[in-house]
Amino acid sequence: MTKPILIVGGGPAGLAAAHSLATFGQACILVEKEDRLGGAPILEGYAKLVPSGEWAKDAIGGMVDRAANHELVDVRTGTTVSSFSGEVGNFTAGLSNGDSLDVSAAILCTGFTHFDSANKPEWGFGTFPDVVTTSQVEQMISSGQGVRCPSDGRKPQRVAILLCVGSRDRQIGREWCSKICCTVSANMAMEIREELPDCHVYIYYMDIRTFGLYETKYYWKSQEEFKVKYIKARIAEVTSDGEKLIVKGEDTLVKRPITIPFDMVVHAIGMDPNVDNKDLSAVFGVDLEPHGYIGKANSYSATGLTNRTGVFVAGAATGPETIDDSIAQAKAAAMAALEQRQLAARLVS
Amino acid sequence: MPIHEKSLIRPENLEVHEHLEIEGVDVSGHWSTFIGSRVVADYNEAMEEEIAALPGGEYIHRCWQCGSCTNSCTVNALNPDFNPRYWIYLIRMGMESELLRDKDIIWQCVSCHKCTHVCPRDVVPEGVMKATSHWLELKGHTPKSHSMIFDEVFSEQVFETGKIEDGRVIKRFFKRTGQALAQPWMVDMVKGMLRNLPLGLLTRMGLATLVAPRTKDWGDARAAIEEYVAEREEHNRKALGLDELIQSARTEI
Ligand SMILES: Cc1cc2nc3c(=O)[nH]c(=O)nc-3n(C[C@H](O)[C@H](O)[C@H](O)COP(=O)(O)OP(=O)(O)OC[C@H]3O[C@@H](n4cnc5c(N)ncnc54)[C@H](O)[C@@H]3O)c2cc1C
Ligand code: SF4
Ligand code: SF4
Ligand code: SF4
Repeated sequence: MTKPILIVGGGPAGLAAAHSLATFGQACILVEKEDRLGGAPILEGYAKLVPSGEWAKDAIGGMVDRAANHELVDVRTGTTVSSFSGEVGNFTAGLSNGDSLDVSAAILCTGFTHFDSANKPEWGFGTFPDVVTTSQVEQMISSGQGVRCPSDGRKPQRVAILLCVGSRDRQIGREWCSKICCTVSANMAMEIREELPDCHVYIYYMDIRTFGLYETKYYWKSQEEFKVKYIKARIAEVTSDGEKLIVKGEDTLVKRPITIPFDMVVHAIGMDPNVDNKDLSAVFGVDLEPHGYIGKANSYSATGLTNRTGVFVAGAATGPETIDDSIAQAKAAAMAALEQRQLAARLVS
Repeated sequence: MPIHEKSLIRPENLEVHEHLEIEGVDVSGHWSTFIGSRVVADYNEAMEEEIAALPGGEYIHRCWQCGSCTNSCTVNALNPDFNPRYWIYLIRMGMESELLRDKDIIWQCVSCHKCTHVCPRDVVPEGVMKATSHWLELKGHTPKSHSMIFDEVFSEQVFETGKIEDGRVIKRFFKRTGQALAQPWMVDMVKGMLRNLPLGLLTRMGLATLVAPRTKDWGDARAAIEEYVAEREEHNRKALGLDELIQSARTEI
């Protein structure tokens, strides 16, 4: 009987890896820092997911039940891994709660950290209550409260969504594209228009990256059916005239400065590397890639392998990823771990 | 200000003060040219909806500003200021004052539909040009164009009689546009017709000019058309809020 495989992080990626391994008769231990499983979609209270249109609590909630209820999955919440030693097939992991685990391999599914909009003070977050993040709007929708201005609970009549907040910005050391925020924003704009048909929604963009099939389903649909307006401008500053938020920038298509009043401004926040990555790197002996995500070897041999044999990585821990891709990567990493087990067994016999 | 940027500034935004002193410094005259700011201060959200409500404007909201229409445009090749992509943007964002600057060229669209065939989003820019010209006229920003007057004269006659009699159309058109009937090209054309057309046809044409024939039992068709036209006009007036506009103008007087 081989030792269990350690999975760190109970988001979509970790849950998918656990379920795959357990289905193939491989015992695993799922270690999650928070006291709940589900990762960002559950912890942050996302509303309807792209591209399925399913509520996060149903879709990811289903994944939680499937993994947590499996007899071969041992769930440890509210804890982290503080030491990790040994070699492939024979690792020992020390948990922050004092437990010690003997495991054969590890899959890091530790995800990302939401960009903190306070790091872009010129866009008004933290100064004006009606400047919010996509996460907050997701919560307004998923809680059933509806989209309202936090300052006084009124229904906004004009909403601006600013794209690439915390992404593609050398000023704050974040050069990556967070990949999902264009699509999430187009989807959110439609949800706002659906709930509040009299509310005009403007999306300020540098490029629209609703890649692949998301083009029609989100970008085109939001324009054609929901009349969402797209303005090519990177906003310089969000201020207030005491009543409304004032959005200042340059409308690059007409070469004119703009100062437009809005009721609500939404930051489409990006996906930062997990703030724990430095610790994870030290504990697991894995290298980080230059942006600060966990580095992975090329996919042609063992998918999702890090620089350390027996330690795999999947999902948003490797860089900005969608849920679907995080799940696919996790399943691929689980498969790579099983391949490794098989290979070791053959060598022994 | 670097010289090359001067071309970006409209003359009316350049301000020269004959006598001006700021904090004790004399900044009078040409050496101290000021530039008025050209900030867009708000979006007029009604504008796109109004133009979308007029025939041809329906798909304006699909535009993603790729510029294919302008690149393909017949008129743009002759006049670079004729820019459908740009006007569509101004309309969508409600930048009314910017649009009005170009009001005297928008109607120059020749309806060749090259733009329609290149547009990747099926916006039908030709239709938008038509709707925009129409909007400018209905709102009173531009006088009725000759082509509009011609259309009116033409359709009035069809509605009245169910037939078209060219001579009368031309007469009325010239009259309404204040042009003399005996224009040299006209005289030449009539002379040519008298010389070359068979006598029978000429006689029939002459009679038609005199008695203005009607289609038999035209009354019902006419009523139906007039009803439709009235409905359409009512719809347009409502979409553009013209009745309220007239109402408020009246109360002001
Ligand atoms: C506003 C917003 C909306 C989004 N909406 C969508 C959408 O609609 N569709 C879509 O496909 N994608 C969406 N995404 C992206 C989506 O959130 C990610 O693709 C997904 O969460 C990645 O899953 P993951 O399991 O890799 O990471 P995560 O969801 O981040 O999960 C990581 C888990 O690991 C735990 N963890 C972290 N560090 C440690 C540690 N040191 N020890 C133990 N546990 C740890 C965390 O607590 C968390 O539970 C959205 C992103 C944002 C920012
Ligand atoms: S997905 Fe869109 S909003 Fe997000 S970082 Fe990339 S370009 Fe910007
Ligand atoms: S239809 Fe009008 S706008 Fe379109 S290409 Fe021809 S002239 Fe230009
Ligand atoms: S071709 Fe179509 S989508 Fe492109 S700018 Fe013109 S109207 Fe817009």
